[in-house]
Amino acid sequence: MKWMTTCREATELASRAMDQRLPLSNRMALRLHLAICKNCTRFNRQLQEMRRLFREGTAASDDTASLAPEARQRIESALQKKLG
Amino acid sequence: MNPPDARTWLMDHGDYLFRVARRQLHSDEQAEDAVQETLLAALSARDRYAGEASVRTWLTGILKHKIVDLIRRNVREIGLPLDEDGDEAVDLLFKQDGHWAEPLRPWGNPHAELELSQLRQVLTECADRLKPVMAQVFSLREVAGLETEEICKELNITPTNCWVLLHRARLYMRQCLELNGFSKVGAA
Repeated sequence: MKWMTTCREATELASRAMDQRLPLSNRMALRLHLAICKNCTRFNRQLQEMRRLFREGTAASDDTASLAPEARQRIESALQKKLG
Repeated sequence: MNPPDARTWLMDHGDYLFRVARRQLHSDEQAEDAVQETLLAALSARDRYAGEASVRTWLTGILKHKIVDLIRRNVREIGLPLDEDGDEAVDLLFKQDGHWAEPLRPWGNPHAELELSQLRQVLTECADRLKPVMAQVFSLREVAGLETEEICKELNITPTNCWVLLHRARLYMRQCLELNGFSKVGAA
């Protein structure tokens, strides 16, 4: 491992840390980088914010969406056909 | 169960299933297909419905499989050579030495300060701008909350591909959100 992680590499680690537990060496590298880098700290925080927004914010986003009458009609016919 | 039940499903749960599908497929047309395929599959399998879960839960379970099928089909249609998908746009975000090309601006609190409808619009528009395969991986992970192993298996891509796609998708999304109002709201 290089002694210093670049921002680009740090964003890779930060991204991956959103999906799995990183190996110790990667975790250390990320933590060291974040300790001295304002931009990457911001990036890391924004990844978490993004997830929160997508999981909560969009969950309700289609509350008003409904099947178009034509689609409903089509599905009903398909079911009808299957029922024979 | 008698045949009329199928129409009751459509009446009682059609819109709900449509909304679930639409959220993950980003397409009305595909969401409609998913609902149709779900109900047809449910019809074929109605003898196996044990009545333990609610009908909605049972149908939603079938829908999840249909959504993943559709997503898989999308990827095949796109036929993207995932391994060679080099990305200049990501390169532009960083300098040669690996530092950020531009400083990142703080976001404030988008949830509190943007109108909910605006917030949703920005999120959707930015997600729509991702390359299709990236959008699929991103939405399976960040919206649907699937684990990356499941995504790899479903889309038949390697874990490395998955990490790369997610990393790029997140970089783009972040950038897009910043450019579309997130950095203007609130202070640091």
